[in-house]
Amino acid sequence: MSHFMDRLKFFTTKREPFSGGHGVLIEDDRKWEDGYRNRWRFDKIVRSTHGVNCTGSCSWKIYVKNGLVAFETQQTDYPRTRPDLPNHEPRGCQRGASYSWYLYSPHRIKYPMIRSRLLEIYRTERASGKDPVEAWAAIQQDAEKRRRYTAVRGLGGFVRTEWEEVTEIIAAANIHTIKAHGPDRIAGFSPIPAMSMISYAAGARYLDLIGGVPLSFYDWYCDLPPSSPQVWGEQTDVPESADWYNSTYIIVAGTNLPMTRTPDAHFYSEVRYKGTKVVAVAPDYAEYVKFADLWMPARAGTDAALFMAMGHVVLKEFYVDRPEPYFLDYARRFTDLPMQVLLRKVGKQTYVSDRFLRASDFAGELGQENNPEWKTVVYDSRSGGFVCPNGSIGFRWGEHGKWNLLPRDAASAQEIEAELSCAGHHDATAEVLFPHFATGEKDMLSRLVPVRKLKLANGEEALVASTLDLLIAQYGVDRGLGGDNVASSYEDAEVPYTPAWQEGITGVPRADVLRTAREFADNAAKTHGKSMVIVGAGTNHWYHNDMNYRSIINLVHLCGCVGQSGGGWAHYVGQEALRPQAGWVPITFALDWYRPARQMAGTSFFYLHTDQWRYERVDADDLLTSTAKGKYRGHSLVDYNVVAERMGWLPSAPHFNRNPLDLYEEAAKAGKRSEGEVGAYVAEQLKSGALQFASEDPDNPVNWPRNLFVWRGNLIGTSAKGHEYFLKHLLGAQNGVFGDGQEGRASREIKWRDKAPIGKLDLMVDINFRLNSTGAYSDIILPTATWYEKNDLNTTDMHPFIHPLGEAVNPGWESRSDWQIFKTIAQAFSVLAEKHLGTRTDLLATPLMHDTPAELGQATEIRDWKRGECEPIPGKTMPHIKLVVRDYDNTYRKFTALGPKLLELGNGIKGDQWDTRAEYESLVELNGPVKEEGISKGMPSLGEDIAVCNAILALSPETNGEVAHKAWKSVEHESGLSLTHLCDDRRGDKFTFADLQVQPRKVITSPTWSGIMSEEVSYNAAYVNIHEAIPHRTLTGRGHFYVDHEWMLDFGEGFCAYRPPLDMKATKGVSPAILKEPHLVLNWLTPHSKWGIHSTYNDNLRMLNLFRGGPVVWIAEEDARTIGLHDNDWVEAINVNGATMARAVLSQRVPRGVAIMYHAQEKTINVPGSPTTGKRGGILNSVTKVVVKPTHMIGGYAQLSYGMNYYGPVGSQRDEHVIIRRIPDQQIDWLERPLTPEREAALNPPGVY
Amino acid sequence: MNLNLLLFGVYPYIAGTIFLVGSIIRYDREQYGWTSYSSQLLASRHYMMWASNLWHVGILMLFAGHFVGLLTPAFEWLGFNPIQHQWVASSAGITFGILAMIGGLMLLLRRMLNPQVRAAGRKSDLFILLWLIVTLLLGLVTQATTVPDLIAGNVANMEVLGGYLKGIATFQPHPAMLAGIPLIYKVHMFFGMTMFLLFPFTRLVHIWTVPFNYLIRPYEVVRAKQRSI
Repeated sequence: MSHFMDRLKFFTTKREPFSGGHGVLIEDDRKWEDGYRNRWRFDKIVRSTHGVNCTGSCSWKIYVKNGLVAFETQQTDYPRTRPDLPNHEPRGCQRGASYSWYLYSPHRIKYPMIRSRLLEIYRTERASGKDPVEAWAAIQQDAEKRRRYTAVRGLGGFVRTEWEEVTEIIAAANIHTIKAHGPDRIAGFSPIPAMSMISYAAGARYLDLIGGVPLSFYDWYCDLPPSSPQVWGEQTDVPESADWYNSTYIIVAGTNLPMTRTPDAHFYSEVRYKGTKVVAVAPDYAEYVKFADLWMPARAGTDAALFMAMGHVVLKEFYVDRPEPYFLDYARRFTDLPMQVLLRKVGKQTYVSDRFLRASDFAGELGQENNPEWKTVVYDSRSGGFVCPNGSIGFRWGEHGKWNLLPRDAASAQEIEAELSCAGHHDATAEVLFPHFATGEKDMLSRLVPVRKLKLANGEEALVASTLDLLIAQYGVDRGLGGDNVASSYEDAEVPYTPAWQEGITGVPRADVLRTAREFADNAAKTHGKSMVIVGAGTNHWYHNDMNYRSIINLVHLCGCVGQSGGGWAHYVGQEALRPQAGWVPITFALDWYRPARQMAGTSFFYLHTDQWRYERVDADDLLTSTAKGKYRGHSLVDYNVVAERMGWLPSAPHFNRNPLDLYEEAAKAGKRSEGEVGAYVAEQLKSGALQFASEDPDNPVNWPRNLFVWRGNLIGTSAKGHEYFLKHLLGAQNGVFGDGQEGRASREIKWRDKAPIGKLDLMVDINFRLNSTGAYSDIILPTATWYEKNDLNTTDMHPFIHPLGEAVNPGWESRSDWQIFKTIAQAFSVLAEKHLGTRTDLLATPLMHDTPAELGQATEIRDWKRGECEPIPGKTMPHIKLVVRDYDNTYRKFTALGPKLLELGNGIKGDQWDTRAEYESLVELNGPVKEEGISKGMPSLGEDIAVCNAILALSPETNGEVAHKAWKSVEHESGLSLTHLCDDRRGDKFTFADLQVQPRKVITSPTWSGIMSEEVSYNAAYVNIHEAIPHRTLTGRGHFYVDHEWMLDFGEGFCAYRPPLDMKATKGVSPAILKEPHLVLNWLTPHSKWGIHSTYNDNLRMLNLFRGGPVVWIAEEDARTIGLHDNDWVEAINVNGATMARAVLSQRVPRGVAIMYHAQEKTINVPGSPTTGKRGGILNSVTKVVVKPTHMIGGYAQLSYGMNYYGPVGSQRDEHVIIRRIPDQQIDWLERPLTPEREAALNPPGVY
Repeated sequence: MNLNLLLFGVYPYIAGTIFLVGSIIRYDREQYGWTSYSSQLLASRHYMMWASNLWHVGILMLFAGHFVGLLTPAFEWLGFNPIQHQWVASSAGITFGILAMIGGLMLLLRRMLNPQVRAAGRKSDLFILLWLIVTLLLGLVTQATTVPDLIAGNVANMEVLGGYLKGIATFQPHPAMLAGIPLIYKVHMFFGMTMFLLFPFTRLVHIWTVPFNYLIRPYEVVRAKQRSI
């Protein structure tokens, strides 16, 4: 009753001594304990997770108390794995556990916000009697009005507004842009959808309904490994984390598992208890090194040299000296090693490897009438002749039943045994030159190769060699043929790719490499492929990332590990597995209403439109080999992009220097109305030069992108490689660019404009729950629901389960879920569109896409219509020209209903098609039909987030067993194999959103993926290729060691070669005054961080408390000593791209020569001004710039064909160097001053104009 | 009612009532706030050892001295004559007063200059520390003024004050007795009484619950299960 009175109950208090008086039992009041109990009491638990960019996909319990989210803990109810395997749970990490902080934090965006200057101007225009679209047009037509709000981007000045007003402004801007410039000038950026697919779908669906452009992200992040499409025709497919536990030998190179795959790292630790050996390759003493038995501290960016040397050892010992039967059998059936390659004469007696031999090269075409030029050839040692085996890409299109990996001659259906090497029965030996790039060594290595002679259909005599014979020669392995550049022993440091040679480059002792290579291969031979290499950003974020990766993929292929449980290549950075992709794609890209959708390669878009190409210091010619055919010699890097766009290799939005709606009308006026006629009209206009690609003149205001939506992401603060160029050219904001941008003059394909554009975007809209750099630079910020306030779906490739995000509490303040936000915008848009747009025909230029027949573009030779080498033929030598009729006033109705195209055309993915009428009709029941009158009446409703989730679940093979059955049937038809057994045991399974709320569900095996969902094996990539004989979606249908496209060969990457980090030349041109003072020149590394997932969590109080609370850069103690730098001193990192500020962390963990700034530290927390730029500090990307690689732009060539986030140039950033200098505390300026007109006018750093 | 009556006849009871009733109410209502708000973890160990111990030993001894010397007949029983009593009281008072003053100033400095302690502390912590130091200073001044009297063998003040306090304690207040007492004593007394008034609102409440039982309790204390839980 009363604590005080209780203390007075001396006589009634029970005190029972026990243990001879050493203990006592008392009856004190225990009510105080309730305080602690109540801390953990709650009203309900809702299942949710964390919705962007983290591949953890951890299901969490969200605790709600008094209507607020109080805290979160890990869910532990995942379905069990099999008995001998540890479970996937508990999943979660320090970052996720801190998320609930955001809901009620000062970062939270609570109301729609708009730049006050824009709002003032807009209201003034509206008050003068203009309607919203006219008002927006009036602002855009007045340069000063436009400048008033664009020039202060990033400088604050937001005010609250209302949903109604702000969506009206956005809709007006979109409509004006569509009318004046074209729908392909409205772009949207949002990262990896798998973690909150409905949210991603919301924006993309809206954009594709109005003809806007979702930009790709995976390639832009440089998380896409182009090596994967090059080798397997697969975007990325990797083992689930549990499969690490099945491995018996693991090498980890450049992915920090405990730090970035925290919930999965336990498998990495547990497998060691099983006796698995772990080898770590890392330049620094990274967290994952602690787990390893052996650390190979290879210098940053030299991984390819290390792995090539391991390949050398494996080829010598397991292929040449003592051939390992398992490896040979694997190589013969599942790789291109037996495929025959033509040699091209480049000197008197010297050759280089050219393209694969094709059926079309033979008189009689080896019995192939359909696509003979797309069918590769092997030598059959049984019949003793060249045959065309099943499975190459020519069998995929235009015929059925032979697109499989059964060892058969396609013509006779006889069993064959493909010969791997003709050594011993060769007709001759040829001297073949292999491109070589190691600094200070010869650029061509001559090596002897056993070859066969052959008469081609055109009568020429040709030399051919198997890929394996060429590979062995290229690796410098001695097979007794003599000649130059053959290793006399492993100790031969003069010959590239020996263990001794790599030591000089990587610094790793040769003995370690030799032993690891032997053990890796020996283990693989004994276990049939249970050796694994786990890789990630540390190896993939380099300019020559495909060489790094292919050196590793070669090793795992040589050892027969790919597609085997516990083996293969495991890439973990930014990779995603949007499991129910087949159901998600049509909804996301509005394919239920319009086909095709408009898409754009992010890297090309940003490289062009942030004008980074104007500052390009890397000369493309320096990258060509001396034996290149070199058709485009003299072209700069950006020119290759222009060429690739016009040949239909890369997408091209904005497409042309014309509004696509107007372009159609011009064609219609000229009497061309059908798609074919309009295509021919466009081709003709292009040929005559009357029409140009937008990329040929990106600085012309006609070709600028005008509106940009960013949602679920932080484009400016995290992923803007070349951040300062974004600020300067795309946004027109205060920036730190030092360069003068004259390098772009060298372009041959682009019209040079002396005056670089400042501020291309009319409107940037950020949709977020927290105010980060992207919001700070936007014109409008819309408050979105947090991950605990909306219903959505979440999957990953780290585990096989699908589970939801759940609305634990209503969206806070005035926020709404992304689906509801875009629904609201669509509504505002529809209202205004009725008057301003009505129904218009949109003209789309789409690339030759992977997994469509168009991937059979130009088979053996590149012909460029612009150079007069061929005619521009849409869909063959240039982009497809497609027409889409958009009734703009129905945008809202279409957004909120599942459209009829799914009924008419069915659904499909990766080239497989199936009918989906039954699922469509079931959704009318489940979601309810749309009741409003109009075009969508009676269709399944997509009005609410849960309805969208259910639609995806119903349409996808992964979540609906009946659809899985249909999908596998479709592959059976293509391949002639029997496959439905892969999903038959789950044919009756169907998940709804409510099921997932109860418990995460394991998805169903589907042909979308190359692994299987089974109770016997863990998910592993390429499993069905190896175990079910389904071909890889590549030229040969097999895994590639050799990629024979002309550009690949020109750039010396037909075979994998070691290429050192690229010299970006960015520290040249730094002011001499800075170089006079003590400074360091360091390689700028930006790995993923412990306290954040990119910028998320980095700015939350809980994580800030854990490490120094602001931006830091890690530097080696020894380096720091040379310039008198102490721990926690402020430093400035500068190069010609810009400057950034951070505090120095000095550590023995970091090797000399590198500066590590963890990704992604923004300029919103504790960042002072940079003394050199005079602008607020910068971010980690202030000193980077993207450099595009021409080989990533190849298209229309089997696996080298465009697919959004599948192939395309990547935005690498690790080759960069910076100047690091100490800034004394007294010079730190926090720039906390009011905005003066002078400051507003000074957009650039002092001295830059 | 004159000021003397108000301050020395009525105010002691107001202060005492608030002291007792306030403490009980706070103890009953705010168990989570019943704490010393110790900042010991935030500062250097060495400094804190000296500051805190000097302060606590000094203050406790002063409290004991006031209580025993003025409110109990202990000295009479021990056979001290008033002169001797005054000598002991003054010398002990000055000694412990100086110890407490050194400790108190050290604590004050730390509380004002150490940014962590400043940030973590509450305003009332600083206020009550200042109040105690002022009270202590006034007490030391009274003792300094006593020395000439003492040498002259005049201990009237002590006897008056003792009588006055006993009167208060036995609910027979005689504020008029204080007519001849120097002002400095009265100010000291006012500050002292106010300290009791402030007591329940500050960290001083920790004095009530010094865990003496730790000295004698068994090693293992088990709380019985209660029905309400």
